[in-house]
Amino acid sequence: MKPGAPEVHPTHPKVTDPYSNIGGKSETEWGDVERGFAESDYVREDRFESHLRTHGYLEPHVTLAHWEGDKLNVWTSSMGAFVKRAKLARTLDLPYSAVRIHKTYVGGTFGGKIDLYSHEYCAARLSMITGRPVRIVASREEIFSAFRHGQPLAMEIKTGVRKDGTIVAQRIRVINNSGGFRGSGVVVIFLAWGFTMIPYRIPNLRYEGFSVYTNHPVRAPQRGHGAPQIRFAIESQLDRIAEDLGIDPITIRLRNARLPGERLPNGDNVHNAGLVECIRIAAGKSGFLEKYGRDRRSPPQGTIRRGIGIGVSAYMGGTLIYPNGSAVIVKMNDDGSAIVLTGAIDIGQGAETVISQIVAEELAIGMDDVKIISSDTDATPQDIGAWISGMTYVTGNAARQAAGNARDKLIAVASERLGVPVGDLAAKDKVVYSTRDPSARMTYREVIAASVATRRGDTVIGEGYWRTMRDEPNHPSLATTKGRWTENYAFSAQVAEVEVDIETGEARLVKALTVHDCGFPVNPALVKGQIDGQISMALGHAFMEEVMTKDGYTLNPNWLDYRMPTIHNMAVSEDADVITEQYRVGQPYRTKEVGEGLVSGILAAMANAVYDATGVRLNSTPFSAEKILYGLKALEFEQKRSQPKETVGA
Amino acid sequence: MLDVTKSGLGTDARARSRLVSLCVNGEWHEVAVKPRVTLVEAIREAIGLTGTKAGCESGTCGACTVLLDGRPVLACITLAVECDGAQVRTVEGLADGEKLSALQEAFLDQGALQCGFCTPGMLMSATALLERSSQPTREEINKALEGNLCRCTGYNAIVDAVLQASDQGVKPVMK
Repeated sequence: MKPGAPEVHPTHPKVTDPYSNIGGKSETEWGDVERGFAESDYVREDRFESHLRTHGYLEPHVTLAHWEGDKLNVWTSSMGAFVKRAKLARTLDLPYSAVRIHKTYVGGTFGGKIDLYSHEYCAARLSMITGRPVRIVASREEIFSAFRHGQPLAMEIKTGVRKDGTIVAQRIRVINNSGGFRGSGVVVIFLAWGFTMIPYRIPNLRYEGFSVYTNHPVRAPQRGHGAPQIRFAIESQLDRIAEDLGIDPITIRLRNARLPGERLPNGDNVHNAGLVECIRIAAGKSGFLEKYGRDRRSPPQGTIRRGIGIGVSAYMGGTLIYPNGSAVIVKMNDDGSAIVLTGAIDIGQGAETVISQIVAEELAIGMDDVKIISSDTDATPQDIGAWISGMTYVTGNAARQAAGNARDKLIAVASERLGVPVGDLAAKDKVVYSTRDPSARMTYREVIAASVATRRGDTVIGEGYWRTMRDEPNHPSLATTKGRWTENYAFSAQVAEVEVDIETGEARLVKALTVHDCGFPVNPALVKGQIDGQISMALGHAFMEEVMTKDGYTLNPNWLDYRMPTIHNMAVSEDADVITEQYRVGQPYRTKEVGEGLVSGILAAMANAVYDATGVRLNSTPFSAEKILYGLKALEFEQKRSQPKETVGA
Repeated sequence: MLDVTKSGLGTDARARSRLVSLCVNGEWHEVAVKPRVTLVEAIREAIGLTGTKAGCESGTCGACTVLLDGRPVLACITLAVECDGAQVRTVEGLADGEKLSALQEAFLDQGALQCGFCTPGMLMSATALLERSSQPTREEINKALEGNLCRCTGYNAIVDAVLQASDQGVKPVMK
């Protein structure tokens, strides 16, 4: 990025002078940052760095393509059939109708299977040339060496606060080492702005993000997509500010946390934001203030030090990006059971379970009466995909609407037959009945038969559509951040308790507490599964995982040398819901994100907890034994230097 | 990765295929395999049981775990020719017809799987554990499952599922 540096893409338009190799820039500003710093009682500047990690999905990338003369059939491990179809059709210059992405069960993704990959193109092209089915499976070594990993960011943060810790102004500069091509490198610098502005009020902000071409493999989105990095940086600095001002970590967060109904700088509203309650409950449930600073004040015997830390995060759900909206069709069978057609893809998050639950609830039928057909671009309606944290909200609301539409049709037919006004009819256990006279009733089977008999053969089919920000034409500009984003923001506060061995520098997460506002959990067990998985992934981020590269080559292209958490590394993971929304049959609902934002607060919490245990403040991930030990030695050295020498024999 | 062709497993054209007899889930199969063909390739490609997964083909993730004469082995680093005459159990052999094993039921109940890719290997490692120790401790469970990576669940639900299946006081979540 240095001015005059050799250019990776000499023909690339010059985004920013004088810098070289800028693939894209995000820039925004509100208030008056310089005046804000001038009016601040305390200003602090820090630089943070994150490292290269990978997704670690267990199922390798695999694609089977079969060209049948006029139709390309593709089975591929992906995160959304419709976005994959769009990218593949455009790359191959085929009409969308000539490409069919079939349903597959996907063995984990975490962001790593959104982009169109070269093996997908190659399988398709080779099949078109040979007329034979072509299957390509990536080896694990290939995935580590030639596929896409996450996005390491460097973050410079200057923050001005009042004496009481209230943020007055912030200037943030984020630099993304985006690899040899654009990929989603420009997205992550835009998103890092988003994850900056959601949780806390920042009256004056100047934000600049640069995505920089480097001689590395191109990057992919990765669970959290910028949030773990920027929240680690902001939350680490906030703890330092709090300490400098003599405020505790809970109070400084409560002072700055968004309140319900607040308007964000982009014009969005946080609605029933539960952040304050999340922080309060996290502090209370973990006994935070009783534990905080304990081992630093009075170090225990032995080499193990325990520390506690907190991190806050927030996440947007179901934001606009192609294909922007989801549709669902619910077809009633003659016997009153239902078939759901949805483009939603299940990648392990439980999309099919949740959509079936919603349809069952709206139609007052059992889960066993719902059969789901999903994620097939020819057979099912368009869907946003499993990669923008909006499936339960967007596709779920479409499913609710489709099932509701079918229910309304059932009730309308029953109303005609029973001579009971629609308003007096209700549905339960596959029966429509009069609320005034329950003996006036028809089973769904009878209602559907009646519909076919009296309505020119009409069977009962419901349609539903949903889209975030219905009145907004486009997603916000990545370059300027202007434009509305979503009506759907999730909030969380997470507490980490870590143990550090001061002899070896090794740290481990002992206990995690996640308190989050996900609206309400449609399926509590699935929500819990998401939380635990993110705790595990975040502790790998913090203490274990790093893709090591040299001259663009991966030095540790296997799971022996790239250490992911095993069953031995997992910590106790507790959680609590802050319920801010509710579900009522027939009403739109607002569930919030839960599948990726929770890798962020806990990462920051672990950084803060390592500090609390040892006094070592790490401004870069991972928090390796080497760095912690180095920090401890540096502290020891500092202490010795600042203490007056004791006189021997005194 | 699995460059297995229909005309015979493996790419080394000159190497002679050998006939190997495997008793998979109680059913004998005779498969012709080149010497380099691994057990997971033989199970998936020749016998056609795709429940066993290959995640790393280097013995690091455990997704390919099957029981060979009752012991869990990594089928991606076990050669098929080594297994001649052996009893092999795969995830397909756990259920009794439509009836899932107690361990499988517990996995479902505890939400001990998300994407499901590691699950066949997890189930086989845990089945072997429960067959040699009817009420394993948490430490024994961790030890038995340490070679099986799971990226989705964070493991806690898996431990609970094993405890539930072995009647050790873990209450069902969903039932």
